[in-house]
Amino acid sequence: MTKRNVDPITLSVVRGVLETTQREMTLTLEQTARSSVFNLAHDYSTALFNHTPEMILQGQDIPIHLGSLIPAMKSVANFFEGDIHEGDLILHNDPAYGGSHIIDTCMYMPVFHEGELVFWTVCKGHLTDIGGPVPAGYNPNATEIFAEGLRIPPVKLWDRGRPRKDVMNLLLTNMRARRDQEGDFNALIGACQVGARNLVNLMKKYGKDVVQDCIAELLDMAEAHMRKLISDVPDGTYTGTAILEDAGHGYGDFEITATVTVKGEGCHIAISSPPQIPYFINSYEGNSHSGVYLGLMMFAQLPPPYNEGLYRCVTTDMGPKGTLCNAKSPAPHMNCTTTPMETLTDAVRLAFEQAAPHKVSASWGHANGCNIAGWDKRHDEEYVTMVLASIISGAGATAQADGWHAVGPECCFGALTSGDIEMLEHSYPIIIHRYSLMEDSGGAGRNRGGSGTCWEVEPLDTPMTLITFGEGRRIPAMGAAGAKSTLVSSKVGRLEVTRNGQTQIITDNVIETIQPGERAANKNPGGGGYGNPFERDVQKVVEDVRNGLVSLEGARLDYGVVIADRDSLTVDHEATARLRAA
Amino acid sequence: MQNQYRLGIDAGGTFTDFILADRKGSVRIFKALSTPNDPTAAIRNGLKLIQEETGLSPEQIVSNADLCINGTTVGLNALITHNGAKTGLIATRGHEDSIEIRLGHKEDGYRYDPEYPPATMLVPRYLRRGVAERVLSNGKVHTQLNEEDVRDACRHFLREGVESVAISFVWSVLHPEHEARAAEIVREMMPNVRLTVGSQLYPQVREYTRTSTAIVNAYLAPILQRYVEAVDAYFQSLGARHPVRYFQSNGGLALGHVVSDQSVYAINSGPASAPQAALWLGEPWGMKDIITVDMGGTSFDITLTRDGRANVSKNIDFLRYRIGIPMIQVETLGAGGGSIGWIDSMGLMQMGPQSAGSEPGPACYDQGGEKPTTTDANLVLGYLNPDGLVGGRLPLNVEKARRAIKTHLADPLGISIEKAAYGMFTIVNNNMVNAIRRVSVERGYDPRDFVLNCAGGATAAHITALAREMGIRKVLISKLASGLCAFGQILSDVKYNYMAPVAARLEGADSAARLNVLFSELEDRGRTDLMADGFTDERISVRRSLDMRYVGQVHECTVDIEAFEITEAALDRLKAAFHARHEELYTYSEPHSAVEVVNVESAITGAVDKPGRMASAPGKGAHSALKGTREMIFTADGIAHETPVYDGALLGAGDRITGPAVIQEVTTTIVIEPGWMAELDASAVYVLTVAADTAAHQRTARTVEVV
Repeated sequence: MTKRNVDPITLSVVRGVLETTQREMTLTLEQTARSSVFNLAHDYSTALFNHTPEMILQGQDIPIHLGSLIPAMKSVANFFEGDIHEGDLILHNDPAYGGSHIIDTCMYMPVFHEGELVFWTVCKGHLTDIGGPVPAGYNPNATEIFAEGLRIPPVKLWDRGRPRKDVMNLLLTNMRARRDQEGDFNALIGACQVGARNLVNLMKKYGKDVVQDCIAELLDMAEAHMRKLISDVPDGTYTGTAILEDAGHGYGDFEITATVTVKGEGCHIAISSPPQIPYFINSYEGNSHSGVYLGLMMFAQLPPPYNEGLYRCVTTDMGPKGTLCNAKSPAPHMNCTTTPMETLTDAVRLAFEQAAPHKVSASWGHANGCNIAGWDKRHDEEYVTMVLASIISGAGATAQADGWHAVGPECCFGALTSGDIEMLEHSYPIIIHRYSLMEDSGGAGRNRGGSGTCWEVEPLDTPMTLITFGEGRRIPAMGAAGAKSTLVSSKVGRLEVTRNGQTQIITDNVIETIQPGERAANKNPGGGGYGNPFERDVQKVVEDVRNGLVSLEGARLDYGVVIADRDSLTVDHEATARLRAA
Repeated sequence: MQNQYRLGIDAGGTFTDFILADRKGSVRIFKALSTPNDPTAAIRNGLKLIQEETGLSPEQIVSNADLCINGTTVGLNALITHNGAKTGLIATRGHEDSIEIRLGHKEDGYRYDPEYPPATMLVPRYLRRGVAERVLSNGKVHTQLNEEDVRDACRHFLREGVESVAISFVWSVLHPEHEARAAEIVREMMPNVRLTVGSQLYPQVREYTRTSTAIVNAYLAPILQRYVEAVDAYFQSLGARHPVRYFQSNGGLALGHVVSDQSVYAINSGPASAPQAALWLGEPWGMKDIITVDMGGTSFDITLTRDGRANVSKNIDFLRYRIGIPMIQVETLGAGGGSIGWIDSMGLMQMGPQSAGSEPGPACYDQGGEKPTTTDANLVLGYLNPDGLVGGRLPLNVEKARRAIKTHLADPLGISIEKAAYGMFTIVNNNMVNAIRRVSVERGYDPRDFVLNCAGGATAAHITALAREMGIRKVLISKLASGLCAFGQILSDVKYNYMAPVAARLEGADSAARLNVLFSELEDRGRTDLMADGFTDERISVRRSLDMRYVGQVHECTVDIEAFEITEAALDRLKAAFHARHEELYTYSEPHSAVEVVNVESAITGAVDKPGRMASAPGKGAHSALKGTREMIFTADGIAHETPVYDGALLGAGDRITGPAVIQEVTTTIVIEPGWMAELDASAVYVLTVAADTAAHQRTARTVEVV
């Protein structure tokens, strides 16, 4: 059946071993890392590459990392070409070499068999800090990448088995919370070692050639799968345009357009975006790959495993260098993994919605969250972290079902975990007053979008710096198949700061100081709905009202359902029919 | 054993197993159909069956039993079918939704699946009520409890007909008074309701885990209570001298009121007795490092003991619900005799997790099943007797099996039926091996250091292949293998877990003193509870564990220690144990980094007398048990060889069989691959070892490193 004459049974076994290997790498990262972004939030990814290097298995981790590891691995291998040895370990974060944003730090371990490079085990994780003027890296005032933190082009952390203490010290010296960073580097290295150990054993068992043949076959099979999906779409050119909000830079809203050209079994995805700006929302090419691939996967809806074969029949063009989605140095970029990535993803998925209306997911809520930093008096040490609980938005509805509550944002697609609130209060001197779903936040539709969340915090006993990022504070998550919300204000994100009884609503990205006794509530948008909300089953609307997910006003405005009051939940069927007919 | 009998009753999905042991070492297994709608009916039916077969009346057995033990699935079934009690939650205002937010995560594997539904809420949002109150991470009260809010919640619950209430507040573990006061109000206003208090049920740090555990408990408590009352009453009517003990997921027995108050401890008790049985079987050889695998019709359960202790899991997702309390780690995989072989959308052959179940069952059952299953593969490979399973009661149709494999696998893949069958066998084994890694490699253990123990009816056909893949060199198969879990329950001790939060760095005399006091308090409570149940001091033992981590980490490693006085000097011992465990698990440790303890736990055990051992009569040589030969396939090329088949009933102690061979027992079929040797031991256990000088051994030796 296969041109390599690969035994189909061995093929299944090799596939299982690759997945187990990836799982064990992931587990190592999750269990050992220090940064809560890492270990609580799951903001890391692991992948295996072959010698070419082509990605042979991508973990089921964060879609943000889905695409960018592919060009990054190629850049790194290219940089050290001819100088890669057993016992080397390479570190990198620079977007100029295919990285996403510099706080996502990648570790690459070459795996050798009898002196020959055969595999790479790779992992990438969001550190808590990467140096630079603003703790946790997100600096809304940066006009250049140099004001965001430390750029690390490919650098050897180990050289033929010898750890380069000087290099590690140089890196750590330039970062906050050194202890946590060192622990996170150890976790990344541990995961790469676990992966390498398993791959070496796999080759011992089946022999290098058999394993490589099986992997080549797995890549081909993934390719064939995607080709089949695309060939089911009528040939043609499909366009999607999504709007990127001005979240404080003052240049106004931007449009990002994706043009998907389907021809036979292949497709070409071209992105057009405005010129880059001196604000932290520029996306370098590697990161834009992630956005494009996520939009593609929202159409493909494939089960795992994932490898680079999926993308062989997909060509991309991110637009001219120097544009928002194909930025060049020194464009500031720290926010890129959420903004503009999610808008870019929306544009691609919208284009696919035209092409394949039967395979549609509505957009998920975009990330608009915060980082916090300050002094922890309990241990007399500084703290800094991204608050993942602050970006948990609602999922988009699909043709089949309501969107999930609280699994966003879109760029993470359910892979994050927000961490236990007691663990967060134990780790940082804060009081979390609220972590809840929000009424009327899910986009209206025949199938409703999932609810967004509110995360409200107060510093325990010292002032706290709070830095916000992202967007989605004015335009709600896009619905699909004719879904549309009337009640908009509750479906978008915002920051609400309460001082002396006065609440200020902030929709720009800011750096605020919050004093003990003051509160900051970060609200995240819900997901988009699917289909005409006036066609939603009335009983489902009643259940949503009973559960406080939709208000009486929301039922009437968004769904055309008139309910007498919350206690009786009696539906006025006549009035409902009138509203729905109008 | 002080009395004549010990009776174990283990309810499973299809059958309820009855184990009747007597003082002389005779152990008999009986099976009655389970009756999920009226679980006590199966008990009555089973006892009737025993009476028919042995002449012993239920009264004779029960009134002469030192222990009657029941492992029940009523809690598990209620959780699977979402048929628990109508439950309300009282939470800290602002945190009512933590169980629906579920840490913001969607399970891996379903990332882009447009149909995968969210977990069903055991307490819907309108029955989750927030009250004003707040304790801080340092244990200080930030906001006093608003009692009127609690009363409002009760009034709401009364209107809605709530049967069970859970109370779970943020940081209640550091200041339980708010929960305790709220509980008083609930009891006063809702005297008939079942009540679960988070900090009492699971006094450990992590709000989401604690609340979720409390909710599962509250959801199941009324169900377990009704069940326990019915069973207790029935056994009392039969003249029981001692209260019935119930088997828990922590691997120990408990009294009925404990199981109905702490029903969450009963949810996955079935496979949790396997480690106990494994240790009992291994005892004559001093084996303490044992992996037990149990393959049934639809699933494959794995448990592990290391140095005589079972792996314990805390804070895991079980049936999509987060549960904190310590449970014996049971890894379950959808791989059984009924697992279906199929070709996925990429074109790869896969086995399971879909199962043909018992209706229609594997194709070879000839009951309308058309999909190829593990059992069909085993039949085509010659391992199973075509005359039928269970002593011929269930004849097997080889042609149907071949046709199913040909149509669905062999033809699409362009290979022979035999190759496809061996492929199915290989893939299902490989799935099982990957799952075994979750209890071994992922816990920092090398499976090659373990003995593999066989449980369940379908396992023995795969056991030497699994051992070969894992590099394991010794296998145990008890004559009781098909009912091993039920047997494990009657070997188990009474066991309760007591927990406390700590959240302190391991530094200085204060932290040592604090740990010492905490452990003493927990263990005093445990001793009191067990003594009230009639255990004398010398029968009570204590094992401690600490959840530790490097400062800054968020996940803990559980480190097990003996009970000893914790002095400042002893802190180094604790730290050393932690560093070693971390390295075992994750390839490295950080001896210079600060270490903190988050939670501590003491498991208090009251030892129960063990029944006598089974015995095999001396054998007359394996040749006398030879029944004939069958063509069997042991290699990927699909080529068959004439292979001897033995009747297990005719084998005696000391009889040896060299593979390839098959031993047919009434309830299971043992496949001995080439390179293995089996010997029946005097304690009615087959011991399988790698025959040292064969080619297969060299293959094993070469693959020892392998996944």
